[in-house]
Amino acid sequence: MSECRLITEQLTSYVDEQLDATRRVEIERHLEGCVACRGAVAGERGGQTVLRQHAKRLREEPLPPGLRSRCESLVHEHARAASLPGWRRTLVPTVLSVILLVFTASAIFSLATRRSDAVLAAQLTADHSKCFKLFVAGNPPVMDAHEVEEMLAREYGWKIHVPPSVDGLQLVGARRCLYADGLIPHVMYRAANGQDLSLFVMNGVTRKPSDLVTFGHRSQIWTKNNTTFVLVGPSDESGRLADATRYMMKEADR
Amino acid sequence: MFGRRQRAAPDTFHSEVLGYLEPLFATAIRLTRNRADAEDLVQDTMVRALRFRDRFEPGTNLRAWLYTILHNTWRNRIRDTVREATDVDSERIEELASRPDGPAELETPERVLIRSTMDVDLKEALDELPDAFRQAVWLRDVEEFSYAEIAKMLDVPIGTVMSRISRGRRLLYEKLADGRGQRANGKGHAQVPVSR
Repeated sequence: MSECRLITEQLTSYVDEQLDATRRVEIERHLEGCVACRGAVAGERGGQTVLRQHAKRLREEPLPPGLRSRCESLVHEHARAASLPGWRRTLVPTVLSVILLVFTASAIFSLATRRSDAVLAAQLTADHSKCFKLFVAGNPPVMDAHEVEEMLAREYGWKIHVPPSVDGLQLVGARRCLYADGLIPHVMYRAANGQDLSLFVMNGVTRKPSDLVTFGHRSQIWTKNNTTFVLVGPSDESGRLADATRYMMKEADR
Repeated sequence: MFGRRQRAAPDTFHSEVLGYLEPLFATAIRLTRNRADAEDLVQDTMVRALRFRDRFEPGTNLRAWLYTILHNTWRNRIRDTVREATDVDSERIEELASRPDGPAELETPERVLIRSTMDVDLKEALDELPDAFRQAVWLRDVEEFSYAEIAKMLDVPIGTVMSRISRGRRLLYEKLADGRGQRANGKGHAQVPVSR
């Protein structure tokens, strides 16, 4: 093996000053007479220096709105669960696993029965529950509808109208969810009584209007201009969400 | 992958984990090159960190443990994608290894380049690196992890880590020098501002 090859293998340790003095002197003696290895050292040192000089600013990436509060909610929830008695602590993940299994089975089933309203409702109800559990736990900040529209356009290329917050109904999140073999926008709202509503928008999909209850949640499905909307929320037999539901159905397809 | 089971210190773990959100997100952006994917990745990392909390050994490096989870989670996500990172890296390594030398004799242009590099140029140049090189140089020079810690995070031997760091640094430097030359000369491919 040539001396250049040996030097190359230790280039990073040399540039990072991780070699002992003896080895370092040997390498420097070689560099004095080898233009190619000097070039390699200069290039590696150049890359290292520019990165280290900018490292602090590179690490300062502003967090997306809501990420910190969601993570804080996860952490607080975990800390609270950790303080529960042992049998309750083990029960929580078990129940969650079972629910996840049921929902996953529903999602797989939906690939084969894409026209089934019940399966669509089951899948979106699963997404509704999962996203609120994971991403909108605790007291989420209210979001601006225009900013959410811009974010969905910028990040995913979706141009949809996002109904803004109104009295009794606050826009608290938006993300993408998997539907069949594609991604769709999922916009999340919280009513004044603490109940959650989800609006799913499927461009290029048409369905007959439908209103059904799955897993204790009501799914209202309607289509306008080749776009299908699905509003998922509590089954709400009391009618307390009627105003919020009417507003969403009127505003969403505007 | 997360070591033996052991109860973590109850009071500091949660607050310390939250303290690493920003650097984890910055690293996730360089991994995914997409803010939305990075957001999901950080959140998944938090969920997994909490789930496997009992496997964290108190007194060891929590930051390195979180970065290991972040990279494992990312690897799991891209495992089945068509674009296989190691294949791309192998091609680049072969290409670079076939060159007779790196960027040649550098004098003042190196210092000028380092001083004049803007954050946005650097991020663009980083994002253009093959995935494995970008991960290695980021973890070493931005996050300042040891070779051994990086090897554990990336699940590769230490020798491979050092090789990727070396190639990544040189390739990054070349890209920055190329970009600077192009801006100086207008459009078209410019000379690297160093003599060979």
